[in-house]
Amino acid sequence: MALSRRVAAANLPMAAPVSIAHTHVHSLRLACGAEALVARVRIADGSDGFGFTLGMEAAVARDMAAWDALGRSKGVPLFALLGGPYRKRINLVKDDLSTIPPDWTALRKDVLAGRHELLRIDPFAWGSVEMVQTIAAVANAFDLSIVLLAPNAHSWEIQYCAALAATLKGGDTRIVVRSDPPFSSISVSERPGTGIDWSLEPSFSTIQWQN
Amino acid sequence: MAKLGISSIHLTRVSIPLTMVHAGSMYVIQKTERTVVELILENGVTGLGETWGTPEVYALAQRFARDWLGRDALDRTALREATLGKSNHDNKSGRNGRATLAGLDLAAWDATARSLKMSLAELIGARRRESFDVVSTLPAAILPRVVSRKELTDHLDLLSNTRLVVDFALEQVRKSGFRSFKLKSAAHSPEWDWKLLNELCEAIPGARIRFDPNANYGAATATELCRRLDPLGLEFFEDPTGELEGIARLKAAVKTPVATNMWVVKDEHLVPAIRRQAVDVVLGDLCMWGGIDAWRRMARVAHAYGLKPALHSVYETGIATVANLHLASALAEVEYPNDSGLHFLSSDVLAEPQEVKDGAMRLPTGPGLGVTLDREKLNKLTLETSEIHR
Repeated sequence: MALSRRVAAANLPMAAPVSIAHTHVHSLRLACGAEALVARVRIADGSDGFGFTLGMEAAVARDMAAWDALGRSKGVPLFALLGGPYRKRINLVKDDLSTIPPDWTALRKDVLAGRHELLRIDPFAWGSVEMVQTIAAVANAFDLSIVLLAPNAHSWEIQYCAALAATLKGGDTRIVVRSDPPFSSISVSERPGTGIDWSLEPSFSTIQWQN
Repeated sequence: MAKLGISSIHLTRVSIPLTMVHAGSMYVIQKTERTVVELILENGVTGLGETWGTPEVYALAQRFARDWLGRDALDRTALREATLGKSNHDNKSGRNGRATLAGLDLAAWDATARSLKMSLAELIGARRRESFDVVSTLPAAILPRVVSRKELTDHLDLLSNTRLVVDFALEQVRKSGFRSFKLKSAAHSPEWDWKLLNELCEAIPGARIRFDPNANYGAATATELCRRLDPLGLEFFEDPTGELEGIARLKAAVKTPVATNMWVVKDEHLVPAIRRQAVDVVLGDLCMWGGIDAWRRMARVAHAYGLKPALHSVYETGIATVANLHLASALAEVEYPNDSGLHFLSSDVLAEPQEVKDGAMRLPTGPGLGVTLDREKLNKLTLETSEIHR
């Protein structure tokens, strides 16, 4: 592991309604050669959850891990914590169009001004489940749908986008990748938490988590 | 976790006397009618909900409940679509449909939260606050009994009667420490309202006072009155006139914030209100908005565009009152105190008294709403009941 650090729970800006016992964030070399930040959040009842990002911002991994821990603790998938799924299968398409930069002020103004037909969001750039849910509420009010970008087309990214996309209203909701998609659609996992299959990266099991 | 199958739904329509006559521009009443919902899961957990108690809503609740049997309480999206359809166009039951859904929806959220051993606030988003300020309604006039409109207007023509309302407000301060008030207006006399609001501000310095004529003043009269009231620094003018265009023009003419619970009451009202800059506060009623998910979305959108979401209420039992507390606790977007009429009910249906102390109510602890029905009290208040099961 290139990096292992302990983060004080009190400093975490997490929106998941959980009491955090502690958090670790590790850097992990993936099979494709890219580096990911992988977070483990342990909540008060001892349940662990995991999150990741192939970007630089660990907060998104911690937020994902907190929601994952809550879902695992309660034995329900993410969509059940957020109110229920609008769909159980999400289309995956290649798309080169740019996503909306994570600038909330600009997004609100542009939506009001009618500058968007579809909200193209990279959830890893926007940072949290709550932020995506807030964008989804705005999209719903303005009759817009959301497209989620899996920026590196990594399987974990696609699975996380599917977990989020399940909870988004709108007929055009789909996941986009920049290269030819590995499959045309993905089922939303019914497993507790985010439903990400961590075994897809063998190096994940080698992480030495601190207790 | 396996799905949380709904095995039966019990509905009880209750009539609860109020401790005094409540008068406004839309009513002179001394009772409230509500429908109490008990949603029983196959795992034995019961969730509580509440909605309006009109015969129309009660009948709709029976119909909707039949469609919910066997479905999964974890999947509130599917429950909503089974009841009102996928789009607003599909909702053939209008406002009554949304209110009916809200009562059943609350019971589903409560049953889910209890099954997951989470408080309702946590399931909605977070348990951010343990107590929340609530608002005491002030009737438009203090009346000895339910009176005709003519008797009400005769009473309001005698301006010295404003003193009765001021004394009543002071009693609320002494008894429960209220800091926030909603003055209902019969919209009969701007002079009455102007005099009374001045007297209230003088008698209770620092009180947050909202003024609610339920849109029964014409736009010109309302604007003139609200301009005169501006220097008082009221918390907000609630539906001083209508409709959206009228209230927008009034808002542009005053400094005091303007709120509505009449013209922005469903999803498709929100964007026009934002574009028109028609209001400052969306005083959303959980029943009118059609349940927790719709209310939560409204709060997020309102906040995103600089409007403040707040919780409206009429004369609910402890069930809906506590639900409003959970919403206010969960959503950081809620800043204004919650409306509440529970302390005017002569009896509640809950076993645990929900008291107002120092002007605030505490969030119950425990899973879900954190409250239990008192069957004996419920039975005494019951007008009719129905049990829907497979």
